[in-house]
Amino acid sequence: MSPADSASVKGLRVSFQEELEALQANLQEESEFVLRSLRGAINALQQRDVELADEVIAFDDEVDDRYLAIGQGIEQLLARQTPVAVDLRLVLAVLHINLGLERMADLCVTIAKLTKLTAELEHDATLIEAFEEMGSRAEEMIRVAMTSFAERDLVGAESLVDLDELIDRANRRFVKHVLELGNDPELREWGTRMIIVSRCLERIGDHAVDIGEQTAYLVTGEFREFTDASHPDE
Amino acid sequence: MSASASSLRSDRPRGRWVGRLFYGFLLFSLVLGFATLGALLVQVFLEGYKWVDLVLFLEPPSADPLIAGAEPAILATIFLGVLLILFTVPLGVGTAIYLEEYADRERWYNRLLEVNIQNLAAVPSIVYGILGLAFLVRGIGLGRVLLAGAMILTLLVLPTVIIAAREAIRAVPDSIRQGAYALGATKWQVVWRQVLPAATPGIATGSILATSRGLGETAPLLLVGALTYVSFNPTLLGEFTALPVQIYQWVSRPQEEFRTLAAAAIIVLLGILLTLNATAIWIRNRYERRW
Amino acid sequence: MSATMAAVSVDLTARARELPAKEFREVVFHVEDLGVSYNGNAALQDVSLEIYRNFVTAFIGPSGCGKSTFIRCFNHLNGLIPGAVVEGKILYHGEDLYGPHVDPVEVRKRIGMVFQKPNPFPKSIYDNVAFGPRVLGMTDRLDDRVERALEQAALWDEVKDRLKASALSLSGGQQQRLCIARCLAVEPEVILMDEPASALDPIATTRIEDLMHELKRDYTIIVVTHNMQQAARVADMTAFFSITRGEEGQRTGILVEYDATSKIFTQPSDKRTEDYVTGRFG
Repeated sequence: MSPADSASVKGLRVSFQEELEALQANLQEESEFVLRSLRGAINALQQRDVELADEVIAFDDEVDDRYLAIGQGIEQLLARQTPVAVDLRLVLAVLHINLGLERMADLCVTIAKLTKLTAELEHDATLIEAFEEMGSRAEEMIRVAMTSFAERDLVGAESLVDLDELIDRANRRFVKHVLELGNDPELREWGTRMIIVSRCLERIGDHAVDIGEQTAYLVTGEFREFTDASHPDE
Repeated sequence: MSASASSLRSDRPRGRWVGRLFYGFLLFSLVLGFATLGALLVQVFLEGYKWVDLVLFLEPPSADPLIAGAEPAILATIFLGVLLILFTVPLGVGTAIYLEEYADRERWYNRLLEVNIQNLAAVPSIVYGILGLAFLVRGIGLGRVLLAGAMILTLLVLPTVIIAAREAIRAVPDSIRQGAYALGATKWQVVWRQVLPAATPGIATGSILATSRGLGETAPLLLVGALTYVSFNPTLLGEFTALPVQIYQWVSRPQEEFRTLAAAAIIVLLGILLTLNATAIWIRNRYERRW
Repeated sequence: MSATMAAVSVDLTARARELPAKEFREVVFHVEDLGVSYNGNAALQDVSLEIYRNFVTAFIGPSGCGKSTFIRCFNHLNGLIPGAVVEGKILYHGEDLYGPHVDPVEVRKRIGMVFQKPNPFPKSIYDNVAFGPRVLGMTDRLDDRVERALEQAALWDEVKDRLKASALSLSGGQQQRLCIARCLAVEPEVILMDEPASALDPIATTRIEDLMHELKRDYTIIVVTHNMQQAARVADMTAFFSITRGEEGQRTGILVEYDATSKIFTQPSDKRTEDYVTGRFG
């Protein structure tokens, strides 16, 4: 049931409804913060901007505050309102998404730290451009995931699998190119660290897919993985 | 085949026969009582209905059965009925309210009062007659008048009215009182505005039934001085007669016609009483409360 | 700081049900060492707590723990039961409810009560709501008072066309809201509710709970409930009562814990409270 539909059955347990909506609003806000973190990390990486990287690291506190507040909100909601059925699935979904968003923010911090670490090293300019593409893809995935969640859009959630595939491929290409970089030790160190950055972006994509799975759980009541890494062809 | 699949037929035939016998006995009691009563009523009715006419209602009694009527008796009975209700309702309801709402059950005088009301209801009516003669007619010098008759019937009927009023007041759920108190009502307001209005149908029914019982009493009226031959219409402080007395007087006359007249008067008396009872039942049905 | 990273501080507690800090709470009742006994048997003892204004305070606990006895102390209804003796103090805005010369009628004008089983009077809807004002002499603008009370009780729309109909023709949930309207018509400050929804179906119950939420803006509400989840849903503060056994085996009610509801249901301080709310109470 989309938020628009639920407005028409407002009338009973109004304060409970408001609490649920506030929880979701806080979650959306947290995702906005994560997007900001990600954009900052990508920009810092591309511009090799150490100050910006420091800001990204400091900004993680904001995300952590939201994370804790939402966690407390969930605890209160479960203890006091005993939600059932779709309300229960909603609260559990928010719980998982909250966790995922916090992890994403931590991954952005990792990217920023690696930016600082490699700021003085030799680098390959073309490879750095690849990050813009991967970064944009990740941003898009986060947006699609959160919008699908807000609108209870199953199709949109499932589309995340295909988007994730693109990031996975980009990641594999990147690794291949790094391996072809040559023997310069600085370049090699830079490349190794950048593989981790690429991996971080790929992980962010995976977390976005997890958010999609939570949306599917909320809508269908079934919890399933969209694709299982150990059974890639099913 | 499991143990629970045994036959569903009853294995206690003797129990069923006892049940049937009991049911038969109940029916028999019912029929016996009603058949006897029915037979009596039918006999009276058949004997007297031809003589229920305007003469009966408008003419005073006389030695000649053809022109004898029961107007004074009928008027007196009606008069007595009105006075009875006027006297018993305030007294009876007041007592009932005191006992139910105000009295502290632990006090000895209240306990004494409770026990005695039950006793008073069982006292034979002739004792009331003697009481009336001694205290009202002679003691305070009221004389053998209608008022005295009304007063003594009041005493006779009062215990029944008190008991009926108490039942009606008790039937008002305590939750109503609590609700009224919780809103800031005083005890008087609770009784006057909630308990009494809710108990009114029960009180009305009880009073009417008690009155109709009183109107059928003969013995106390005789002792208080209802005359057996009265040819003038009754007044409050005048000598009087009443239907039961009139009937008694006519039955003891030798002429056959007087017995028929008596039957006719009985029909009238029964008519009055049945009307009263029907009113009581109508009130009860109309205002019955479902809590 | 770059524009991308400028953090905007958002009010996270916008909807979180955090209670105002202690210094901002206004005390309506101050209960000190309260005890109630019936014919010499102590039903409740040593209760001390404070009730705050515009809060919903719930009393929970197993049967026989004295919570109903306790709530009836606030409006002197215990005085109607012969043999009931109240010890200790309840200060209402500083004045002892059980002091000398206190008139129960004055107390009940300000502290109203709604009972477990709806008890509408056998009169019309209008006369039910008007009864309180009439007995208290508040007969000016009676129609307005009745309408306002029924609106506050969320019943006006359903009955405005049949005010003269018998109150007993309403459904159970409507009757209970009528009883609430009746209580509101005398403009009390405090509303006591003794298990107000336990005789009602779930939808009617939810309506009453939503009503409590609205009413607490203008009134102070104390509710006794045997349904813990109800306390969790509606109450700001919760008091948990339990039973102790004396030397001769007599059972007396005591106050075990009194705290913000969010604390009682997530992290109670006393193990007895935890056993009760988790349902492990024996």
